Amino acid sequence: MSETKGKILVVDDEKGLRIGTQRLLEDENFLVDTAENGEQGIRLGIASDYDIAIIDLKMPDVDGLEVLKQIKSIHPNTICFIATAYASYETAIESTRLGAYGYIPKPFTPDELIYQVEQGFRQRQLVVESELLKKEREENLIEIASEKSRLNTIIKAISDGVLVINRIGELVYFNTAALKYFDLDSLSIGDSALKHLPAPIVEIIKKIYSPDQSLQKTYSIQLELKSNNALFVESTCTPILQNDKSIAGVVVVIKNITEFKKIEQIKSQFVSMVAHELKTPMAAVQGFLNIILDDTISIPYDTQRDYLVRSVIRLKSLTDLVNDLLDISRMELKTKQREITEIKLDEIVHSVSQMLELELKKKGVTLITHFEEPMPTIKADANEINRVFTNLISNAIKYNKDKGKIDINISHSGSYVLIQISDSGIGMKTEEKNRLFQEFYRAKNEKTRGISGTGLGLSIVKKIVESYYGKIEVESEYGSGTTFKIHFPINTN
Amino acid sequence: MALIAIIDDDPDILDASSLVLKSKGFDVVTATNPVDGYQIVTERNPNLIILDVMMDEPDDGFFLAQKFRKNGITTPILMYTSVSKAIGLEFGKSDMVPVDDFVEKPISPEELVKKVESLLQKK
Repeated sequence: MSETKGKILVVDDEKGLRIGTQRLLEDENFLVDTAENGEQGIRLGIASDYDIAIIDLKMPDVDGLEVLKQIKSIHPNTICFIATAYASYETAIESTRLGAYGYIPKPFTPDELIYQVEQGFRQRQLVVESELLKKEREENLIEIASEKSRLNTIIKAISDGVLVINRIGELVYFNTAALKYFDLDSLSIGDSALKHLPAPIVEIIKKIYSPDQSLQKTYSIQLELKSNNALFVESTCTPILQNDKSIAGVVVVIKNITEFKKIEQIKSQFVSMVAHELKTPMAAVQGFLNIILDDTISIPYDTQRDYLVRSVIRLKSLTDLVNDLLDISRMELKTKQREITEIKLDEIVHSVSQMLELELKKKGVTLITHFEEPMPTIKADANEINRVFTNLISNAIKYNKDKGKIDINISHSGSYVLIQISDSGIGMKTEEKNRLFQEFYRAKNEKTRGISGTGLGLSIVKKIVESYYGKIEVESEYGSGTTFKIHFPINTN
Repeated sequence: MALIAIIDDDPDILDASSLVLKSKGFDVVTATNPVDGYQIVTERNPNLIILDVMMDEPDDGFFLAQKFRKNGITTPILMYTSVSKAIGLEFGKSDMVPVDDFVEKPISPEELVKKVESLLQKK
């Protein structure tokens, strides 16, 4: 048996006709349900979506037209036939108006019935198919609409400015970020973008639109939109190509690069400072050597020797500077391998003061230490902590008075160790204190003349202390001494 | 013989320059900061001033040169420069930089003497 073609409902109060029709249609491979009165017909016809319903017009309980109306109201695509022996022009019109597909006059021959049903079934298939297509199309539209709004939301939310400009220079799309960058609050679709955008961008758009195809590519430029580095943007203009390679428009993306520019500026300032600091001792050494080598200048041996000794001192300071720079760069790159161990600060202070003994003696400076008992231990890299104390104590010697004093006091302060290093030295003026931790800053006044240094020592100390989440402060009075205070966290775990 | 004032905060540069100029017979006075520099120029009235561009602050030399000119001191100024060229800060003679010539450090005795002599001859 071939598969069933469709589902048919036969509604007729006349048993013989009902069963005859059922058999006839089942032979044609239709699935057939029957109802013996109008009320049952409505119930079945509503309960499932029949392909075809054949409804007798005259039934004792409910009129065939009422059955038709009820079924059509729920399943408008069920193909309905009205079967009647009392065919009249009026009922034919009325049944068509209510949605009947055809009219089968009784009595009918099997061929007539099957012909009509086949016609109806084809119609049903067409209706169902077009219904499916319609549904599919609607779903597609919803999908497109939601995709579009999703994209819209994304573009509106990103911090980069986006503008789309058509072939004739009109704005066809923009997001709020774009308005913000160009300081425009009244721009609408269709406005001439070329009138509102900064000249360099307009220039690029014109280039992209030029007939010369070699110019049709993506361009990026950096623009200072607000002076004094307040707003720097990078604007990228990309042509939108059509299938035939002609240009439909241009997409302009504006990215805020202000922070990047600031970093770039800091970097180049740093490079020029380094260049200056490196060149100063080199220039001095080269100057001395040029004189010694110059045959037209006669210099006594002692002076020559003095110049060579001074050259060596300058070269040593140059080496110190390069080492400090390497340390800073290692610290910034965090490539420095740390060996974290338990450190006893009193031991560090002793070893540093031993190392600096010669300098202490030369200046006649006495070093006094006070360690609170029990001495707290900290967890850190011994080399780094050594560096902190070396830099601070050697500063306390260099900037001290002859026969001066250095006090080192280490105590507990909550979950911190408080390290205080005080000297009885020349002290600092307020503006010197403010710039103290700046790279290459060295206080220069009548009292600091002759004191050498790289200008990086304190900046290194600060970097080390802060890398352990500690804090360094300075108290100083010009002429009477300086105290550095370090709060270093005690690592309990 | 001409008197030359050298103002530079680097004692090694001061000594080397002094030695070169003295060996050519010039008299030399020196100062290591802008304040002392201004003083020796007003007191000794040199025939030529050699001025370092950068002392305590990156533009000390410029300010001092401007101060000389503003106060009617027209003595020729030869300016020592260092990294300015390397960092793209190339300057020439202008109202902002009222100097007569430049010498790039490190100092070559030959070039220094040539520039000093030519400035003194112009006067």
